[in-house]
Amino acid sequence: MVAVSAFRQRTPVLLTGEVSMRFGVGLFSLQCTAMQPAHWAGAYRDMREYATLMEELGYDELWLSEHHFFYDGYCPALLPAAASVLSVTERLRVGTGMLLLPMQDPQRLDAVARDLATRSGGRLDLGVGMGYRDIEFDGHGVSRKDRLPRMVRGLEVLEASEAAGGPPLWMGAQLIDPVKRAGLRGHPILFSAALPLERCRTLAKVWESGWVEAGRPLASKPPLGALRNIWLTEDPKEREAARDWVRASYVQYAGLGWTLPAVGEHEQADFAMETDKAIADTVETTITGSAEECVRRLREFEAIGIGHIAFRLMLDGAPRRALESQIRRLARELMPHLRDRVAA
Amino acid sequence: MRLGLALAEFREAEMARLAQAHGLFGVLAGSGNPLTAINAAVYASTATEFVRVVTHVRLGLVHPVTMAEELSVLDNVNNGRTIVLADTGDLDPASAADEIAVLREALSSRPIQHDGPRWKVPAGLPANTTAPPSISVTPKPAQLEIPFWLTGSAARDVHEAAGLPVLARETRPIDRPKLVEPGLTAITGNMKADRDHVTQWAAAGVSHLMLELPVDADLAEIMTMVSRYLAPEVLMPHFPRVMSDSRIPLPWPGDGVT
Repeated sequence: MVAVSAFRQRTPVLLTGEVSMRFGVGLFSLQCTAMQPAHWAGAYRDMREYATLMEELGYDELWLSEHHFFYDGYCPALLPAAASVLSVTERLRVGTGMLLLPMQDPQRLDAVARDLATRSGGRLDLGVGMGYRDIEFDGHGVSRKDRLPRMVRGLEVLEASEAAGGPPLWMGAQLIDPVKRAGLRGHPILFSAALPLERCRTLAKVWESGWVEAGRPLASKPPLGALRNIWLTEDPKEREAARDWVRASYVQYAGLGWTLPAVGEHEQADFAMETDKAIADTVETTITGSAEECVRRLREFEAIGIGHIAFRLMLDGAPRRALESQIRRLARELMPHLRDRVAA
Repeated sequence: MRLGLALAEFREAEMARLAQAHGLFGVLAGSGNPLTAINAAVYASTATEFVRVVTHVRLGLVHPVTMAEELSVLDNVNNGRTIVLADTGDLDPASAADEIAVLREALSSRPIQHDGPRWKVPAGLPANTTAPPSISVTPKPAQLEIPFWLTGSAARDVHEAAGLPVLARETRPIDRPKLVEPGLTAITGNMKADRDHVTQWAAAGVSHLMLELPVDADLAEIMTMVSRYLAPEVLMPHFPRVMSDSRIPLPWPGDGVT
């Protein structure tokens, strides 16, 4: 039997009286794009300001994202970025969604992450993923063919650290085998916003089977997480703009060469080769409408075991006043309705 | 000569705020733990607006491209206030020079394609079939070029090769009188002794001197001594001490009354 990590034994999620869902905003990738030019230092300042606003409004989590060597400055170093947010907040958790573990020296990463957890009162969540771009591996002197063994070695180091009180681990994965591995190892998944509900349902079951196969009781499983494209509005023009910002944000992933491979009956979304179709399909994952409609749609995710919702709001082309307005609106009109239930 | 403050581990934000409030040019972060220096520097950075953040990193502990990426993020967090104090650690001079070359190339505004005695960047590994022959580390630093200072056993040799300043730890005549020459020294909290001490450093030609405080010092008290008695003393030759020794001007009535 694989042990439930010490962290999760210490802090069981389903306690009577605890809120059933946790809310965050992401992905903070600190990009300054061709469509939305800005100064990088301004992007880092803005993130700190968003974080303090989120904390005031009662959000639980802020999620960061990593890539390397991209023209727009896509954040390549998540722990310094996390440190900048943790240093100006007191309650908000900061998660890496995801830090590309095979490109790191796990011992050093662990030392840096534990230091940050100590400095912040344990508010760092360490989400790790594999990475998929040859250029990113090559720039760090790592062969892509070694990424799985390096990932496993890194996980072993970080799991030992977590068991000793280090930062809790999350994993990013979209395919059956890695999701199963995450379940077997006992780490919750943060699903991509590009995954429709049905695909999240399929993968959540796969994750759960791994959790149980490792000998753990089903009742002790932690809630999973999902990024969601969402825009709470009943104004058709605002809805149209928000969906277009979602579209524009996925154009960046087309540039990065990202592909969402097929899983079972769920077909591939190839952002590089079938850009328009992949983007159009992904835009359809966007939840929009009234608060009642958004609550109804998010309850569907809660029903499949997803207890952490990260609103994917850092969209290419979205002006800051729109983002701030949406962050406030979601906190005021949506989050209270989804926090009204307590776990049994 | 200008004064800066060496920060104690886990007190970076508090001490950096004090350094800024007392008008020092910069702070030195990360000397307590080379693995976590950038965390320390980030905490000093977000607590301040003006001071330069000298970040003490040790070479040889991580791939230099990873280090460059972390330094560039740091420089954007503090809007161009980063200075790197590169500790050559256990590296031999050639390896240290090569690692610094990679760091500086990666932090430049040009793509990097480096093939040196220690590092090849990009690596050009066969399995990475779609990787191009050069890469560009982004984001770029907020400032045009992050200054590098050197310390450690190979620092003198790297200085010869790269022309970068070496952090002095004892007063000695410096060899680059018109350029930045940093130093690091401890003070005691004894005003007369410390005033004489920093004056000797200024006379030696050091341009930026980081001060280590006594471990048990009352921070508010010793920082007042630094800004009132030490900093003015070394900011101009023949400082007229009457200005430091005079009575502190009255506060606005009501200020400080609870």
